[in-house]
Amino acid sequence: MRTVYALLLLLFPSGFRRKYRAELFTAFDDEMTDPRHAGASGRLRLWRYLARDLVASAARQRWSAAVSAARRLSGRGEPELPRQQRRRFMETLAQDTRYAFRQFVRRPGFAAVAVVSLALAIGGNSLIFGLLDGFVFHPFPYPQPDRFISVGVTSPKMSPETTYIEALSPAEYADVKRGTSFTHLGAFDLGNRNISGGDVPERVFTALLLDDLFPVVGMRPVLGRGFSKEELAPNGPPAAIISHRLWQSRFGEDPAILSRSIRIGGQAASIVGVMPAGLVLIGTDLWIPWGGDQAQMPRNARPFTIIGRLAPAATLASANAELSTIAAQVQQSHILEFKEYEGWRLTATPWAAALLQDMRLAAYVLLGAVGFVLLIACANLTNLILARSTTRHRELAVRLALGAARWRIARQLLTESMLMAFAGAAAGLAIAYIGLRFSDALIPAQFARLDLKAGLNMRVLGWSALLAACTGLLVAVLPALQATRTDPHESLKSDGRTGQDKAGSRVRQTLIVAEIALSVVLLLGAGLLMRSFVNLQRADLGFSPNGLLTMRLTLPQQKYGSGEAIVAFFEELSRRVQNIPGVTATSMVSQFPPLGFFSSQIEVDGMQASGSMLPTANTTIASREYFKTLQLSIVKGRAFGVEDTPEAPRRVIVNQAFVFRYLSSRDPLSTRMRMVGRGGPGQWTEIVGVVSDARNNGAGMPVRPEVFIPMEQGRDVWNQLFLIVRSDRDGTALVPSIRAAVASIDPEQPVYAIQTMEEAVALSSFQQRISAMLLGIFATLALVLAAVGIYGVMSYSVSARTQEIGVRMAIGAEQTHVLRLVLMQVMKLAAVGLVVGVGLLLVAGKALSQLLFGVKPADPLTIFGVTLTLGAVALLAAWAPAWRASRVDPIVALRYE
Amino acid sequence: MRKRAEDPRKPLSLPVIHILLALAEGARHGYAIKQDVEERTGGAIRLGPGTLYEAIQRLLDGGLIEEGAADDEPANGQVAQRRYYALTARGWDVLREELRRLGAILDHARANPRLRKGLV
Repeated sequence: MRTVYALLLLLFPSGFRRKYRAELFTAFDDEMTDPRHAGASGRLRLWRYLARDLVASAARQRWSAAVSAARRLSGRGEPELPRQQRRRFMETLAQDTRYAFRQFVRRPGFAAVAVVSLALAIGGNSLIFGLLDGFVFHPFPYPQPDRFISVGVTSPKMSPETTYIEALSPAEYADVKRGTSFTHLGAFDLGNRNISGGDVPERVFTALLLDDLFPVVGMRPVLGRGFSKEELAPNGPPAAIISHRLWQSRFGEDPAILSRSIRIGGQAASIVGVMPAGLVLIGTDLWIPWGGDQAQMPRNARPFTIIGRLAPAATLASANAELSTIAAQVQQSHILEFKEYEGWRLTATPWAAALLQDMRLAAYVLLGAVGFVLLIACANLTNLILARSTTRHRELAVRLALGAARWRIARQLLTESMLMAFAGAAAGLAIAYIGLRFSDALIPAQFARLDLKAGLNMRVLGWSALLAACTGLLVAVLPALQATRTDPHESLKSDGRTGQDKAGSRVRQTLIVAEIALSVVLLLGAGLLMRSFVNLQRADLGFSPNGLLTMRLTLPQQKYGSGEAIVAFFEELSRRVQNIPGVTATSMVSQFPPLGFFSSQIEVDGMQASGSMLPTANTTIASREYFKTLQLSIVKGRAFGVEDTPEAPRRVIVNQAFVFRYLSSRDPLSTRMRMVGRGGPGQWTEIVGVVSDARNNGAGMPVRPEVFIPMEQGRDVWNQLFLIVRSDRDGTALVPSIRAAVASIDPEQPVYAIQTMEEAVALSSFQQRISAMLLGIFATLALVLAAVGIYGVMSYSVSARTQEIGVRMAIGAEQTHVLRLVLMQVMKLAAVGLVVGVGLLLVAGKALSQLLFGVKPADPLTIFGVTLTLGAVALLAAWAPAWRASRVDPIVALRYE
Repeated sequence: MRKRAEDPRKPLSLPVIHILLALAEGARHGYAIKQDVEERTGGAIRLGPGTLYEAIQRLLDGGLIEEGAADDEPANGQVAQRRYYALTARGWDVLREELRRLGAILDHARANPRLRKGLV
């Protein structure tokens, strides 16, 4: 740590450093022991702060040191006024800029290549950064988002994962509230509500609150207020807060909305507030008080999501420490009653991170990949400038000989590269702007609900400016070093005719190898992701998604109560849909592959739970025709039939994964199992059949054990089911007739979440698809840039070796020999680059392997494909220079001397 | 701070004002200045190591402060090796002038009824 700090101190002039060394280190030790800087994130904050502090003050110090030095040197009695100083600086800058412009105008091809490649590279970076900023890094408009946290729960007994959404019970929430780390805490349950009192009945995603959430999110309602204590109390007066977009879409931004009421599930509630635009808590459009009596809820009923604002004195680390103390206390007092408290943990995580956890990895991979493209563009540009500066050698030498200071020449080169970099960045921002405008199209409907927006904001502009500045510097370093090392004497003596300098050519070749290596990494990454995506597409889902249409219906409990009316509705609906022409099968189900969200703990009769985790299985309510509709086959026993009435003994069907995991060698048909729910274990249930596996945990993931419950016997719980229709024609064409069928039974019943099964499957591999697509674009860009680089370097090398080639041909070398000579040189570079690139990818493979499916980072087929592609591109890029070399006329070449 | 010597009308930066204010209460070493400023501003102004010593160096160059002996020599021998800084006569002048200037701004603001609320 101190070494890093000492390195940062090198920024200061040595005199300053010597004088204040001891004090600066004391101050550093003091910052390190500050409790605010404890923990990983505290350390990160400290370094960010120190870096900013030291860089800024070192720059000021160096400036004033330079000013006084200049004054001493100039020896003028009158010290220069700061204003004059600045004017002189600006004049030099203007002069350098004018000169740089003239250089570009004189060689427009060079400038165009440079600016276009930088525009593509920086534009790509800005675009990706903008997307990630909008969707991953700063997705929400809440103030101080780092201090807006969510409390997550890990119960190793249930699952190794930490859950944040719907994770805690009211009793546990009260435990969390005992701590002092949060100024505001809020809890909400999520659900859907049918709203009416307008033209069409509508179903909206709803948060049911235990507290007023506005102080927690740190925003105010645009109209009205948050909930009062009375409204939040059990059985309080019905009140509702609506989202900004609901206010717009349903109420036409009516300014008098607060005097209106809304019907929620048939009951009137007064609208007391409107959320500000952009406040979209997990996409909810309606907030209502939870309204129940918390004291009546058992300790293990956990429907609540907890969010909070860190107190000013607290840090994430201190909050976590306090939460783990609380968790330990809870465990101690309740473990006898609730087994899941064994080893459980509470964790505070910033909201965005908790919500978008798994998107972050892909985000960083993409940012790294697009960063590679910029590095390649930089290497290219450096090469171009180096090649050109060889021809500018004499110009620079003349200027040196005439007394120009070396730093003055370096500054000139820096101005030129900065000018190109910023021109590139400006064009790049235009590309990014257009790209971001169309980014909405990339977002699947599920994410669109979060109402996230990506655009050019100050962070994106700042990032682009930073990249441009770094590019300008990076590109100028080598040429500037070379220029300042120029010996005017030597350079003027030679006439620039004799061959190329050894060191320079080695630098250029190294740069080409680096470019190729980086392109190889991108190509391999893109290839691997592409293969993963194809594997996912080809993955056997266990069922056939073609021709399946899905949609959801929720029957209001106020209207249908529970029990027979619900089953009767769904059975009547199935009958009517079945009669629509083209429909071959219809069924109702609570969840369907490729995803499943509802699961519960289970117990198999006569089996001890092995290991520390209680066994769990997906639990799915299904109507009789479900297996037929999905074309799943019954492996053993029977499907559900008319005999599985509510009065009959409880019966279930399990999938093959269930048998494999929990029944091993036993005969499933003579085994009983039961579900263990919130209220303790349920009835013992007979297993009457085993059904073939379908991917129910994502297309790329192993099949989870699943238990199917007949709809007639599960009706107490489920008033919300999916209608699944298989037809022999385009599924979406059936939607109007299905809607009509629903309306013919109950005209007020909304149908929503309409999706073909193919869309559902595509959505489950959305991340792989978009990563593969973007990485593919970057890899292509990288390859084009590398090809330009190879072409440039080989052209230069051939023209510099014209004489040598001429001599070779004069003493008998044939055209094909020369051709081979040049191409072999390229192939050697490409081979080295390929090896380095494959090595780099294998090192980075660990990060990538989490995004892969059915393919390893060291995939021979992908490596082979990349080798072929790269070889072909390298040959193509080198062909023209090689051809030119082979056409050299020895007479002309030698006479040229 | 030679800049200031040439152009006394130029306002001082916020960290510099706070450093001068800290020294107006007596000679301090660098670290004490930092603590003093953070305490007085309730942590709103944090002087990073670079900012602090860079400002001190410029104030020394400008002749607004000088290195000198402490008012009271601390008993702790370790601290004694630290350098102490005190305002020069010129430093006092500049600080007073700056505070007068800020006072004038505040007076002006108080004259505006819409701004008066919240200003004492």
